[in-house]
Amino acid sequence: MTMQILNTVLVVTAMNAVLALVLVIAERFLANYGTCRIVVNKEKDLDVRGGSTLLSSLGSQKIFLPSACGGRGTCAYCKCKVLSGAGPVLPTEQALLSSEEIDAQIRLACQVKVKEDIDIEIPEALFRIQEFQAKVAVLEDLTHDIKLLRLNLLLPDTIRFKSGQYIQLQTKPYNGVKEIAQRAYSIASPNYEKQTIDLIIRLVPDGICTTWVHQYLQLEETITFIGPMGDFYLREGDGEVVMVAGGSGMAPMASVLMEMAKNKNPRKVTYLFGAVSKKDLFYIDEMRNLEEQLENFTFIPVLSQPDPKDQWKGETGLITVPLAEHLKKIDSSTSQGYLCGSPGMVNACVKMMKENGLTHDRIFYDPFA
Amino acid sequence: MKATPSERKQRIQFEPGHISRDGFLGNDRRHIHDIVEADRKALERLKISKEQVADCLQYFIDEGKQGMESLVDLGKYTVMVKWDRGMLPCPFGQCGLHHKIMVTVTHKEKKKSITYSQLNVHMIRKHGFFEGRGGHFRLDPDDIVPFLCLTPYVRSPE
Repeated sequence: MTMQILNTVLVVTAMNAVLALVLVIAERFLANYGTCRIVVNKEKDLDVRGGSTLLSSLGSQKIFLPSACGGRGTCAYCKCKVLSGAGPVLPTEQALLSSEEIDAQIRLACQVKVKEDIDIEIPEALFRIQEFQAKVAVLEDLTHDIKLLRLNLLLPDTIRFKSGQYIQLQTKPYNGVKEIAQRAYSIASPNYEKQTIDLIIRLVPDGICTTWVHQYLQLEETITFIGPMGDFYLREGDGEVVMVAGGSGMAPMASVLMEMAKNKNPRKVTYLFGAVSKKDLFYIDEMRNLEEQLENFTFIPVLSQPDPKDQWKGETGLITVPLAEHLKKIDSSTSQGYLCGSPGMVNACVKMMKENGLTHDRIFYDPFA
Repeated sequence: MKATPSERKQRIQFEPGHISRDGFLGNDRRHIHDIVEADRKALERLKISKEQVADCLQYFIDEGKQGMESLVDLGKYTVMVKWDRGMLPCPFGQCGLHHKIMVTVTHKEKKKSITYSQLNVHMIRKHGFFEGRGGHFRLDPDDIVPFLCLTPYVRSPE
């Protein structure tokens, strides 16, 4: 009886082992897509190893699509036209693509797997996005939860960008976080500074990248970023520029304003910067300096809940209050709105701008989501 | 409970560094189904539904959003919402994206606070998942129900 049981156990174990072996062999051959060809804009042929996402396959060939979320399928920035070879639209894409986009063969490059030859179209401008190696030159507190990160570029050693654009910072594994993540941050320095870039990074509770920057990144450390990207930059026009930002949303505004100062741009600019109390304010001296350099620039910090110790004499309340008052005084038919900050603030201010006559095509922001 | 290969693959999404820095399990070694089941039983004992908890937590998010990061006074409670750019997928998969909204609710009399995210509200409502023991934003039913002063149901909603 005992022998019978032992024999049965042995037979079952042997069968399991054989099945596992078959599965391993099948995976090796069936999931091996070999070399696949990505044809870009009908003029560039890239041979890549099949099995990876289109986003990472293009990245391995130094073609970088914007991806604020680092390929997790949450930002929808890596949209591109796939003419053939992508298979059906996945459920993970459907939430982020409109029916018009699906009809126009738009896909999320981070969700499409390269399993066969694939034919894609991407804007020429994306070929200018590069991978950079840079050294941490400055890492200092601007507030209790915001840091300034200055990077000296190593390879390439210069960058060309439009003031207001962003880059994607790449983390390194740290303290239990094994994977590399990528997150988007606006450049806070102006475009005429080509050998360094400044980033303004607020600590996000439980955030993978911001925790790395705030608690693990070291001076002199060499890091990687990809850029420049984004459509947030100063548009042509004569009307007033109304800027609204909060927290790290200061970054692209500072970049744009410094470039305007360098070019002695005469446009009227009003910049409302929202914070909770004085401990959340930063770059005040820099903004006051810009007020001296730009004759038509006004900087208005607004505190929603100033601490009594702050002895604050400036604007108080939610940022939408002074914004509404200001919008009523200006020519909304020519003005442009530029916003950066928390989505809640941006949504409220966009609504207010539209209610006061600014049309959608004259309101600009990078949602990063 | 033993995990299937696909469950083991899914569990990775709950671990640190995938969706959030600290993950969703804390130091809890139990199978996710066991965590959910234990919390379901706790709610049943308290005669509170997961929807009641989620509705109440969502109410604080909706009210707190209006403060744009400043403290909102709601009488018995104060609430502060931080809304950062970006979205988070649910670790259970295939159920949409959730804003990076973090909320701190303080019970003024009890001088106690809880912190949770928009994703937590979704996971409680859709999956009955309150995070594992020791999780960064674990909301233990035995703590959260008295904190929120929820009224027990008369008849089970099941």
